[in-house]
Amino acid sequence: MSILEYNGAAIIAMTGSNCVAIASDNRLGIQYQTVAMDFRKIFRMNDSLYVGLAGLATDVQTLDQLLRFRMGLYELREEREMSPEVFTNMLSNLLYEKRFGPYFAEPIIAGLDEKNMPYLATMDLIGAISKTKDFVVAGTAEGNMYGMCETLWKPDMEKEELFETISQALLASVDRDALSGWGGVVHLITPEGVTTRHLKGRQD
Amino acid sequence: MFGTDLTIDQDILSIGSSKHDAKSRPIGSGCLHAPPLDLNPTSFPLAPCPDPASFTRSNFASACGNSDSHQQVKFAKGTTTLAFKFDGGIIVSVDSRSTMGAYIASGTVKKVIEINPFLLGTMAGGAADCSFWERNLGMQCRMYELRNKKRISVASASKLLANTMSSYRGYGLSMGTMITGWDETGPQLYYVDDDGTRLHGRYFSVGSGSTYAYGVLDTYYRPDLTVEEAIDLGKRAIYHACHRDAMSGSINNLYHVTKDGWVKIHAIDVNDMHYEFLEEKANAMSS
Amino acid sequence: MSEFTLAPTASTAAPTGFSFDLTHRNALIESSSSTSSSNIPAKLPKALKTGTTIVGLVYKNGIVLGADTRSTNDTTVADKNCQKIHYIAPNIYCCGAGTAADTEKTTDAISSQMELLRLNTHSESRVVTACTLLKRMLFRYQGYISAALILGGCDVDGPHLYQIYPHGSTGKLPFTTMGSGSLAAIAVFEEGYKDDLEEGEAVELVKRAILAGVWNDLGSGSNVDTCVIRMDGSVEHGRNCVMPNEVGELRKKVRRSDVLNMRSGTTAVLGETFRKRMGGGVTLEDVVVTEMET
Repeated sequence: MSILEYNGAAIIAMTGSNCVAIASDNRLGIQYQTVAMDFRKIFRMNDSLYVGLAGLATDVQTLDQLLRFRMGLYELREEREMSPEVFTNMLSNLLYEKRFGPYFAEPIIAGLDEKNMPYLATMDLIGAISKTKDFVVAGTAEGNMYGMCETLWKPDMEKEELFETISQALLASVDRDALSGWGGVVHLITPEGVTTRHLKGRQD
Repeated sequence: MFGTDLTIDQDILSIGSSKHDAKSRPIGSGCLHAPPLDLNPTSFPLAPCPDPASFTRSNFASACGNSDSHQQVKFAKGTTTLAFKFDGGIIVSVDSRSTMGAYIASGTVKKVIEINPFLLGTMAGGAADCSFWERNLGMQCRMYELRNKKRISVASASKLLANTMSSYRGYGLSMGTMITGWDETGPQLYYVDDDGTRLHGRYFSVGSGSTYAYGVLDTYYRPDLTVEEAIDLGKRAIYHACHRDAMSGSINNLYHVTKDGWVKIHAIDVNDMHYEFLEEKANAMSS
Repeated sequence: MSEFTLAPTASTAAPTGFSFDLTHRNALIESSSSTSSSNIPAKLPKALKTGTTIVGLVYKNGIVLGADTRSTNDTTVADKNCQKIHYIAPNIYCCGAGTAADTEKTTDAISSQMELLRLNTHSESRVVTACTLLKRMLFRYQGYISAALILGGCDVDGPHLYQIYPHGSTGKLPFTTMGSGSLAAIAVFEEGYKDDLEEGEAVELVKRAILAGVWNDLGSGSNVDTCVIRMDGSVEHGRNCVMPNEVGELRKKVRRSDVLNMRSGTTAVLGETFRKRMGGGVTLEDVVVTEMET
C-alpha cells in the first residue's frame, strides 16, 4: 500500500461554461479504519480560487497552512489577489523545493482567471504541472474517477448541469473505492460567487 | 480447474490423513503431466518444486496474511461476519462487500453458505477457499447421512472442516468461518479457521470489521434475548462494523437457526439502516 | 522599504536550493514498512514520468526538434497533450525526457540563468553555454535529477545539437533521439538522415521519427510537436503539427446516451451555502494584530 493511500481521498475538478466545480469526499481513515466523516480536503485560497489536496492528511494540512501564509503575504505586499496561474507556479515551486523529500500530496487547482475563464491544473507530488481544459482527478479512487469523467463530461455545461455531473461522477467513483466516500462536498465557482453544496453519500 | 473432473473413489473418512509429504517428493516430479484429480481434498496438485508450501507462501503471501505486494496475487478479502447463540436459537448476520485492495469488487456477495437445511457456514478470508471447502463439507455431510441414516452433528461437521484445514496448514489457504446448526444436542456454534483452530462458543465475529461488531455484541448480548431483539442486535452489530470498516459494507444478510432448520430473515441495505438508526437516535434525544 | 516588508527569512527568501527537511521522515516511513511488524504502508509514491520520444537533428539551415505529448503516471496516461519542448533562450530550445518535474524545473532554472547572462553580457546566448550549465547542474546531483535532454539552437557559431544524460555526460551530434521511444525513432533517422537536408525534408523526417515512437512505444503517444530554429534567428513552433489520435470528431458522431445528461435534482443535497464574490485581497484591516509576548 502506498503512503498516498494511507488516509484515502477522492477529488475531482471540472470546467463548465464560465464556471468551474471542484468536489471531494469527506472521509479520513487510517488505512481501512474510518476515523472521521467530515475531513476537509478542499481549501479556499480566494474568491475565485480553490485548491484540493489528496494524499497524506498531515501533509494536506501542512500544505494548506503554508499556502495560506504565502497567499496572505503576497496579497499584503501586492495589494491584489493572486491569479490561478501565479498560484500554480508558486505551489509547483513549493513542492519541487522538496524534490528529494516530498510532501505526499497531489494538488488540484480550480478557479477562474482574470477574464473569468475557467482554469484547471493539477500536479504530481513534486510539482510537475499539467493543465487541462476538461477535468482533473486525484486520490485513491483515481481510476474510477477517470472512467466516470471520461463518460459524463461534455464541453460548455451550465452551472447546474455541471454540479449534477461532477456530483454523480464523484459519488459513483467512491462507491467502488473502499478508502473514500462517506458523503462529499462540491464548490461551484462562478463570477458571481461560490456555491458550496454538501452531498448525501453512502455511509459504508 | 478443480471441481470439474472430480470422481468419487476414496473413502470419505480418510480426509485429513495427508498423503503428501512435501520433502519426499522428487524435484520436478508431477505437475507437467498431472494425474487426474481424485476426490480426496488432500490431493490438490502442488507446485513442482522441492518445497511447495514455501512456494505458495512466497507467491501468494497476501493470502497468508502478509502485507500486500504488487507482485502477489490479490484475493477478495475484507468482511464482517458474526453469529451468536441465544435462547431462541442462533442468529447469523453478515455483510456483503468484497474488496481487492482498495477496489470494491462486489457489493452482493452471499457470505452465508447454506451447507444443508440444518447447517450454515460463514465466509471470511479468501472467497474461493471458503466456498470451495464449505461445498466440499456439504458433500461430506451428505455422505455421512447416507452411510449412517442420521444427520451429522455440528461438532462432527466442524471437525471435518478443521481436519481439512489442518492437512493444508501452511499452504496459504485463507478461511475464517463459523459453522452453525441445530442437531440432537440443540443449537451449536463453532469457529474454524485456516490454521486448523476449532472453537466452541456462545458468540463469534470474524473478519476485518469483527472488532467493531464485538464492541456491539459485548455491550448488548444476553442469552435471554427475544427473537426480535436478537435480530436487531445482529443487524446493529453489522451496521456499526460497515460504517467504520472500509472493507465491509453494502447489504446485511441475516439468518435465524431454529430446531426446524435455518430461515433467512432479511437482506437490508446498510445505508438505509444508517438513516433508520439516525432517526431513532434523534427521537431518543428529543424525548 | 516599508515597515511591512519582512527581512528575508528561511521561509520567505527565494529558495536557494533543495530542502531536505522531510527526507528523514520519509525514509522512516519507507523503512518502518519493510520490517513487517509495523502496519505503515511501504511503497513511496512515484512522481510523474514522461515515457517519451524526443528527437533533434541538424539540417542545412538550422535545427529541428521534435517530441510526442504523452505524460504517464505508472500505466495511466496523466496528460494527453503536454509540452516537452522547453524554452531556454530565444534562439535555443530543449526537449526533455524523464521525470516531468525534473525536466521542467531544470530547463526553467537554466533559461533564467541564460537570461541574466544575456542582460549582463549584452550578447546573444550560445548553445554551448546552455549545455555547460545543464551538464554542471545534472552532474552535481549525480543522476538523481532524472532529466534526459536534447538541446538545440543556432548561434554565431552555427547550428548546434547536444544530447545530455541525467548523470551529466553530453554528446554533440548531427542527429539524436532520447526517451523510451528513442530506439524506434533512431531507426527512422538512421534510414533517412543525410547531411544538409532541406527544411521541409528535415521536418518530415522528424515527424516520422516521433510517429515511430508514438505507435511503437507504449510510453509515448498522442500528438507530435516540432520546433524549427533557423540560422537567421527565426523560430517556428509546430505545436500539435500531427494529431493522429484526435478523437473529437469521432466522439461527436457517437450518440450520447440520454442517461448521461444529468437533470437538475439528480443528486441528493444535504445543505447549501453561497459566498458572494467580494473582490480584492487581504488588507491590513483584515488582519488581527496580536501583540507578541515578550
